[in-house]
Amino acid sequence: MSFTEPLYLLYLAISVGLNRLCPARFRPAFLLVTSYAFYSTWSFEAAGLLAVLTLATFGTVALMEKSREAGKTNLACMGPAAAIVLTVYLMAFKVALLTPAHGIAGLVMPLGISYYSFRLISYVLDVYWGKMPAEKGLVNFAAYVAFFPQMVAGPIQRPADFFGEMPPRPKELVQPVLRIALGLVKKLLIADNLAPLVNAVYGHASGFHGAPLWAAFYLFPLQLYADFSGLTDIAIGSGQLFGIRGPENFNRPLTATTVSAFWRRWHMSLTTWLTDYVFVPLRMSTRRAGVLGLNFSIAVNMVAIGLWHGLSDAFLVFGLINAVFLIVETLTSRKRAAFFKNNPEFDRPGTWLGWFVTFHLILIAEVFFRAPRVSNAVWLLGHLWTGLAGSGAQLLNLIDETGTRGLAIGMVGYLILEVGERYRPDLKVRELYAEAPRWVRWSYNSAGAAFGILGLALLLVYTAGKRSAFLYEIF
Amino acid sequence: MTDTWERLQNIFRDIFEDEGLVLREDMTAADVKNWDSLNHIDLIVAVEREFKIRFTTAEVTTLKNVGALAALVDKKRAPKL
Repeated sequence: MSFTEPLYLLYLAISVGLNRLCPARFRPAFLLVTSYAFYSTWSFEAAGLLAVLTLATFGTVALMEKSREAGKTNLACMGPAAAIVLTVYLMAFKVALLTPAHGIAGLVMPLGISYYSFRLISYVLDVYWGKMPAEKGLVNFAAYVAFFPQMVAGPIQRPADFFGEMPPRPKELVQPVLRIALGLVKKLLIADNLAPLVNAVYGHASGFHGAPLWAAFYLFPLQLYADFSGLTDIAIGSGQLFGIRGPENFNRPLTATTVSAFWRRWHMSLTTWLTDYVFVPLRMSTRRAGVLGLNFSIAVNMVAIGLWHGLSDAFLVFGLINAVFLIVETLTSRKRAAFFKNNPEFDRPGTWLGWFVTFHLILIAEVFFRAPRVSNAVWLLGHLWTGLAGSGAQLLNLIDETGTRGLAIGMVGYLILEVGERYRPDLKVRELYAEAPRWVRWSYNSAGAAFGILGLALLLVYTAGKRSAFLYEIF
Repeated sequence: MTDTWERLQNIFRDIFEDEGLVLREDMTAADVKNWDSLNHIDLIVAVEREFKIRFTTAEVTTLKNVGALAALVDKKRAPKL
């Protein structure tokens, strides 16, 4: 069941309704049942695997805590060791299933594995490091691992945050519905309208040169952002309807003025996860090695981010390129800071230049993210300037073939999205809402819900038959 | 101002290049410009060198604020009985 299917919205509506009817103390159990029911629509085998891993982790951590209380630290180390082995196993399993040569591709595809394995590991390590006590309730724990709105594509919520919200007490209705509607608009009206041109070029990059390559170069990152942040909006909105506030995943990443700022604002729940569980431990163990230790830790962290998306040479290069950007940025940060301190007149132009350079560095890296192989990416980047003068007609033809109206809707939609995220008019509305009399709030809620539902219905009718999967659903 | 606090403040001023920085107990990374995951460990290394102590990964990841860091430093510097 994909987030853009009308069936998903129906399932969500029924599930949210039943959750609210449940007495609060039964809600964790209800979340568990509805999550497994949802997950089983993908595959019973995968749901079985999820249950086994959940029980194994719960048991391992309980043993770990017991042995630590008894002073046996060696045994306690078994927990994190098991978690690491588990991740490697899960990732290998995912790769094996994705490889057509294996013969069962698509048969027992354990969707969401990249996300729930990270939830399992953070639980093991948080208890091991003493950040939180082991969760006593198996139902709470199993609901955390399987919570279906966060199963498709995150966000990766930390265990203590989730358990802190148990049993869930859902309060909001209109705001989450509008958030889901916004997610669908981002996906169906922006990302899906930018996709045809991007797909046409990347699908046959060597057939183009100049202008069409530039168009795909600039459009793909916008498509990816609209697609993935839309997916996250639906996940967060769905979670809120159950009373679970998942972490935010984006903070206007494409306006970042440094590459490190970009990575603090893009897929934030993954990057903060890797910072806490990969970068910091690595950096701690290499801290006496000076700059070399820092560079090594950055490189491992960024390669991990790249390969998390899939074991391919293009994702490896994506990680390495970002590592180089971050290392150069870190090594020059003191000098740059000193320059701007001594030359305050360059502060403002420096910010603009920082944005321009960062934006293009990210664009270059994302060519490797989108291209199926490194060779395709290199071809695209190497032929941007080739025959540029005469390639305008080729681009116009391509736009004509892939749909002028769709591209225009996608681009205008993206522009509105960026401006909206810059000024956040919804926050002002919420401020006014909090102070408004009861009848105004009531009217706002009714109109909001009606508008949201009508909008969703129109959108689903309009895009019927041409909806595509989210880019991040496959990870 | 205790000896630990004053020495910590000097380290913070040096690492984050801000001579006017004044530490508070409840201060976190969000309150200090340039305090991110990249230079957090630089800070930890500088504190270790200054006080001749060693932190573990678990200690570093569970620190909540500057007050907790100062308390941990004092705990590690206390003579073992």
